[in-house]
Formats: sequence, structure tokens, C-alpha cells
Amino acid sequence: MKSFADKARYGRADRSMMGRWFWEVDKVLLLMIAMLIGIGLIAVAAASPAGARRLSGGAVKVPELYFFYRQIAWITLSIPIMLFISMMNRDMARRLSLVGAGVAFVALLLVPFIGSETNGAQRWIDLGISRFQPSEFLKPFYVVALAWLFSLKDKGLPTGLISAAMFGAVAVLLMAQPDFGSTIIFGAVWAGMFALAGANMRLLGAMGVAALVGIILAYFFYDVAQTRIDAFLFGEGDNFQTQNAMRTLTAGGLFGMGPGAGRFKFTLPEPHTDYIFSVIGEEFGLIACLVIALLYLGIMARVLVRLLDEEDPFAILAASGLAMMFGLQAFINMAVNVQIAPSKGMTLPFISYGGSSMLALSIMIGLLLAFTRANPYLNRSPYVVKWSGS
Amino acid sequence: MNAPMPNLVAKPERLRLVGQKRKLLAMMHQRLMLVLILFAGAILLVAGRIGWLAAFGDSSSERAGVGAFVPARGDIIDREGEALARTIDAWSIAVQPPKVIGNKLDLARKLAEIMPDRDEGQYYELLSSDRNFIYLSRRASPRLVERVNALGEPGIQLMREPDRLYPQTALAAHVIGYTDVDGNGVAGAERAFDEWLTDPSRRAEPVQLSISSRIQQALKAELAHAMEKYSAIGAAGVIMDIHTGEILAMTSLPQLNPNVAGEGSADARFNRASLGVYELGSTFKPFTVAMAMDEGIVKSFSQMYPCPKKLTIGKRTIGDTHPFGRACSVAEIMQESSNVGTAQIALQLGAKRQEEYLRKMGFLDRLGHELPERGRTLYPRDWSEIATATVGYGHGIAVTPLHLATGYATLLNGGLYRKPTILKVGPGHPAAKGERVFSEDTSYKMRALLRMVVTHGTGRKAEAKGYRVGGKTGTAEKLVNGRYSRQLVVNSFAGVFPMDEPRYVAVVMLDEPKGTKETFGFRTAGWNVAPVVSGTISRIAPMLGVRPDESREPELDSVLPYLYENKD
Repeated sequence: MKSFADKARYGRADRSMMGRWFWEVDKVLLLMIAMLIGIGLIAVAAASPAGARRLSGGAVKVPELYFFYRQIAWITLSIPIMLFISMMNRDMARRLSLVGAGVAFVALLLVPFIGSETNGAQRWIDLGISRFQPSEFLKPFYVVALAWLFSLKDKGLPTGLISAAMFGAVAVLLMAQPDFGSTIIFGAVWAGMFALAGANMRLLGAMGVAALVGIILAYFFYDVAQTRIDAFLFGEGDNFQTQNAMRTLTAGGLFGMGPGAGRFKFTLPEPHTDYIFSVIGEEFGLIACLVIALLYLGIMARVLVRLLDEEDPFAILAASGLAMMFGLQAFINMAVNVQIAPSKGMTLPFISYGGSSMLALSIMIGLLLAFTRANPYLNRSPYVVKWSGS
Repeated sequence: MNAPMPNLVAKPERLRLVGQKRKLLAMMHQRLMLVLILFAGAILLVAGRIGWLAAFGDSSSERAGVGAFVPARGDIIDREGEALARTIDAWSIAVQPPKVIGNKLDLARKLAEIMPDRDEGQYYELLSSDRNFIYLSRRASPRLVERVNALGEPGIQLMREPDRLYPQTALAAHVIGYTDVDGNGVAGAERAFDEWLTDPSRRAEPVQLSISSRIQQALKAELAHAMEKYSAIGAAGVIMDIHTGEILAMTSLPQLNPNVAGEGSADARFNRASLGVYELGSTFKPFTVAMAMDEGIVKSFSQMYPCPKKLTIGKRTIGDTHPFGRACSVAEIMQESSNVGTAQIALQLGAKRQEEYLRKMGFLDRLGHELPERGRTLYPRDWSEIATATVGYGHGIAVTPLHLATGYATLLNGGLYRKPTILKVGPGHPAAKGERVFSEDTSYKMRALLRMVVTHGTGRKAEAKGYRVGGKTGTAEKLVNGRYSRQLVVNSFAGVFPMDEPRYVAVVMLDEPKGTKETFGFRTAGWNVAPVVSGTISRIAPMLGVRPDESREPELDSVLPYLYENKD
């Protein structure tokens, strides 16, 4: 108990929001997120000239590092938001999420009416300074809302049905845009959380079959899905872009061509967003790609393993749901880049350029940090006396 | 002992709930680990794929047939596999004026020093222009690139771009052709096989031409030497395999360097051998004799014709260089290349049959080879009597030297016409099926006649010791302003060797050669082109595997007895 008392002298008694946050936040997770953001900045700097050159032409001239500077601006805006949210206690975080989920859902509803269209999909709402994508903001709030719903199970609510209805509503709106990739993510995270909340394994199996059927239906009814899946499975159609992506990814070999020395990146359609992983491959090498993939795994592992010490079902569901959403998006993007999955418009969390997605991700990680906050001296081990007096 | 002891006063209901909660948490924790395992598996999949790519490289491009070593444009190689055209990564130097940081005057001075093709003022003008991007040098040498790089000016861009390299420079330039700046074939094989060369699924395999660099080089050297010696304005040569129709060498002088095709004059770009049409004169005479023999008009070389000094047909009068003024045999007509004699044979044959033969031999159409440069032949519109007579000795009909080579191949390969080809004949490209023009017997008899021209006639200087050359000279006056010029001639020689078992035909042509002291002022083919054939055959026969053998000769008994001068 002596050492414990000693620690207390270094600010443990500080009960301010900041002070408590500092002791309770998962610093390893925070460090890994910071690393990811750092890597992302370097990658955006590398990809920015390629993206800028693609947009330039004729009278329009986009500065080479346009996306880099904008990314810095978005990061300076997003990080404080992330830290602020991570300081909230669970009740505050839950309330924020429920309100946020409502607002984002309404925004998503409005997209078909006031949204702006790019590349044949209507996903954005233009706010003048920047466009924001309601589905991005819905992601974290949706997860927390679902977690809250599932945690109400012992109150006798038909949580499974309500959550299915929630997902269904979101899925219909997303497919109307159409945004096949996001639908899959929302669906997978919902299924994952449902499973964690104690769903019957047989039911989950049935859902898996239904998902497969859904994908096959999408293949037949959505042209975009069909052309992309065709291109991936049979290598037919216009696979010029995926070929370029592959050439870019492998051009650097193990150690890369060196920062700024990439050549194939200029052939990519979306070098600074969807295909930034390939740009990293060309300029920093496949080893850098491997490190990034392992970093995402590290984040997932850190969150999930730490949740073993957590006893609040709501926190477990919320944190694991947020982590799944984050990890799944990263996996799909990387899988598209290394071409083990057909191409989808999906960004690499914290590495791809994107203002609204950076902001949404910060909210997501802010919430994740808030839900994984725990007294480092408080765990389930029966050999440690519970510290809180409750 | 471990978990906090349940409160003894708790209601059973609450106890049950605590138990349920424990169970739920245990299940959640279990499934959390399941999620982690799934995710770890997914990341492992990505990592494995990255490892696969690191080890085996880009697989997607293989699917499309584009590997690391497949050039953007296929190679062209000769029949021995020597590279004739390749695609290399060349350097280009460009400047982006708005990005220039250093002092522009200073930079202009340094650039003028390194690349003197523009002066300082011009460089300064370029550097201060408001254009975004200007090429300073394309296909720059690595040394030049290094020096420009050493200037350290960020406004100067050093870039790599695929470029076409012709490692043999001017050799076979007209056959290979060249590409434009954008890499599209615009002439020769580059244009003929453009689709093949750029097709992603085929371009890995080079286009193998029938040309042999070594034979091409020998032909070109001999022709260039003669062209210079006799101050000719141009020259052309074709060497062909008479059995397959493969063009082993085809040269047209003056040449151009396809590496800098733009610098070549229009004259140099013109392919005299396959695009240029000429009245090739007496080299046609053997065809007339063969046609007549095939039709049974000439039964043997001993057949006699009256050969006056002048022969008048309609309004035109025909004369000879060496007039006979007496009756002469067919052998003598060939020996001395008599127009008067040949005209009579042609008249016996008649316009209809003559035209028919010429058509079968391909002389009335563009040749069906692969190159885009295919000359359209000129021939009489109304095949009158005089036309028949003149066509019989090669006037009034203009064909390409390649036509002539094809004609001699037909004449001596047993009588079969085959389209010439520029691609190497092999399993992937079999020789064309021949169409019969002359009987085998006629073809066989022509060996002796043509051999005699070289041993005893106008073609003596074409003899290459031991290689049994046979052939025919041709000196044709050029049409200048609608009249035949006495001064300007086109000399040609069609040679075939070895004459006892004909394999190769060599046609050479000199455009407007002048007389020299050595030729005693003569401009006839026997004096200037025949030696080219001799020299060329002496050089190429060993490469083609023809052994020099003075003991072998075709059977000459059918001709030699009928030569007057030989009767002694």
C-alpha cells in the first residue's frame, strides 16, 4: 500500500477532468493512434502531389501540397475534439452519441434531397467550407447507440429486433446513395455487436447466409457492385485502375523508392484517399505497409484484450463496436489495395486524406478512448482489493 | 472467497441476476477474443498478401501480359536474332520556367554551355516565357543528363520516357522503318506490324524479320561503294531466297538513320527497292524468252531470228547497242542483249499472252508483301503491237526492283510465283504456296541461258569465282520530260546463284550512274552494276552456306554451241 500512497502524491488526488483523464486514459492506445496520425500525415504529403496533379489542368492549378496542408488543418481541428470527447465520462459520452446518432440519421435522410453528387454517388452534404458525409458521422454514434440498446436487454426489450430495424433503416438509406461499402461495414459491425451481446449462434449463422444472399442480390441489382465484382473475379472490364494500383504498390519493393520519388502514384485515380496504401507501398516499401497493417492489429488487440477486464456490458459493447468499425474499415481498404477484395470507395482510417472522415474518426476514437478509460489500478483480479468504495 | 461474498440478505431474484450477469460477461469476453482472432486472421491475410507481392511481385500485370521485361513496344529482330529495333528508357530534359529558382541569366549561360544547340539568348527567352513546360532535349545522353542535374536547378525536370532505339543505325532502315514521336509506326516494318508490336498479349514476342543484318550490310556496302564511284543519285538492292520468297536483304540508298528519322531528306526516306518503280530494261528479256519457250514458240536456244540493225514496228524504230545485221540464235540474242531479237520473240508471243504472264508474275499489281511501301507498277494502257515489243525488252513497263527479284525467283525456282515476305519463314509463318507460271522444264533451261550471259555475254563482270553466278544486265534510259534521255540511265542487274541449283536472287540497281575513266566512259550495266553483284555474292555466299566450287556448272551444251563468236 505504500507505493500506492506514493503514487497518489503525484496527482492522483487531482479530481479535475484533465487530471482524471490523464490517469485513466489508455496511453498505449493513444500512442498508437498518434503514430497512425503521424504516418498518415507523411503519407498524405507523399500522395498529395499526385492527387493535386490529377485535379489540376487547364486554368485550375492545385498546389502540390494542397491536400497536405488541408490535412494539417483538419488534424489541428480534430485532435482537440478527440481529446475532449475522450475526457467525457460514460454517461456523457452515451448522451452525446444518442443525440449525435439522431442528428446524423436525419442528415442521412436529407442526403437524397440536398446532397451533392460525385462519381455517380450522392453521399455528401455541402456546407460551403467543406462537404461532410453524414454516414461517416453516423458510424461512431450508431455503434454507441446500438451498444446502449443491447445493454438494455435485461429490461425485457426485444433488442435484437430493434437493432435490426435500426440497421435496416440505415442500410436502405445507404444503398439509395448508393454506398455498398458502408452498408457492409454497418451490417458487419451490427452483426458483431449482436453476437457479443449474446445472440444465438444459430441465428448468427442464418444472418451470415442472409448477408451472402444480400451481396449476391446486390451483384445482380447494383451496376456498380456488379462491374466491380466482375472486374475483381474475372479480371474483365476496365481494370486499368486496379492494375495501376498494383503496379504502384509493388513498384517500391521492400524498402520503397524513397519519399517523393514515386512515379506510378501519378497514375492512380484517388492517390490521397482510397489508394494511399499503394502510394505508401511505392514510396516507403512493402515493409512500411506491413507495419501499418500490424499497427491496426495492435490497436484492435489492445482494445479487445483490455476489455477482458471490463465488467460493464455497455462499455464492452460500445468499445468493441467502435474498434470493430475502425478495424474493419482499415482491413477493407488494405484488402482492396493488395487486391484480395474488389475495389470500394473506402478510406484508410487516419491515413487517408479527408476532412469529414478525419473529424468523424476523431469522434470515433474519442469515444473509444472514453469507453476504455479505466483506473489502471482497478482490475478484476481477485487478489487486488477493490479501490472504489462502492 | 474470491468474488465478493453475496449479501446474505439479498433477494433470490437478485442473486439470479448476478449469476446471469457473470455468465453473460464470460460469454462476451469469450466472443471478444473470437473477434480478435478473426481480425488477426484478416490482418494476417493482408500481411501474407504483402509478403507474396514482395516475393513474387506484381501479379495483376502478368494477367494482362505486361511483365517487368515486356517492352512498351515489341522488339524487331533479324533472322539471326540480332536486334534491329528496341525500346529503351531514354532521358529527356525539360524546364518548367515558373519553377526556376536560380538566376535565369546565369542558368541560360550554363545551359548554352552544356547544350550548345541553342544560344544563351534563346535559353533566356525560354526560361522567361510563361509556358509551363518546355522540352530542352529529348533522348539525352546520360552524360548530358548528369551535367544538367549538376546545375541543381529544381525548375529543370529530368524524366525517363520510353524511346525507340535502332542499334544498327541506318542498316536496313527502309525495311525497319521508324516511329513518330508518340511511338506509332509510320514506315516500314514498324508500321506494318504496329498492331503486333503494341498488342499487350503479343509484344513480348519480337517480330522476326527475314532480313539478315550481315547480308544486308554486305549488300549495302557494295552498293554504296558503286553509288559513290559512279556518282549515281540513288541505288537499290534486293537479295531474296527464291524458294521461300524471303527478303534476306533490301537496301535503298541514300539511307536514313531511323534514330533521327526527322533529319533524313524526303529522298532518303524513299524506299527505292519496294516503292520506286523503274523501267528496268534488258533484265526483262529472259522473261520474254521463258514465256515463248513455255508457249512452244521458242523450242530451243538454237532457234534463229533475223536480226537487222534496225527494226521498224508501226511508227517506231528499234535499234541495238551491238547490232548484228544478220540472222542470230536466241542464245546470241541474250548474249548481246538484242532488243531487235527480243522484240520479234515478244511479237510472236502476242500482247494477250504477254499480259497474262506478266500478271501471273505479279508485275501488274502492287506486290503482296507486308511493308506498307508497295510501289504501283506502270504498264501500257492499250497493249498495242509496239507496246508488246518494248515490254518484251523491259521498256514501257515500270516495276520495283523487288518485283524484278520476285520475277527472277519465279523464273528459276521451278516456275512458281510466291509473294515475297519480310517475315522469317518458319513454323509460325510458313512459306507461301507457289502458283505455277512457267513449267519446270522452262525454268530448268533458263539456268544455262542466264549462266551463259555471265560467262560469255554482257554480264561477265558479275562473275564471282566459284559461285556460278547467272543473270542479266539491264540498261534503261530514263524518261525525261516524256523522252528517253541518252545521258540519264537506270542500270540494273538481276543475278541468281549458284546457277547449277539456284537458291538466291540478287537484284541491284543504280539510278543515274555516270561514266568513269575505268569504264571507258560507258554507263552500261555490264560496267557498273555487274561488279556490285560480283562483290556482293563473293561476300554473302559464304554466309549463306554456298561453297565455292569451280567444278560445278549447269549444263551449258544447250547454249554454248549456238554462240557465233564461240564457234571457233
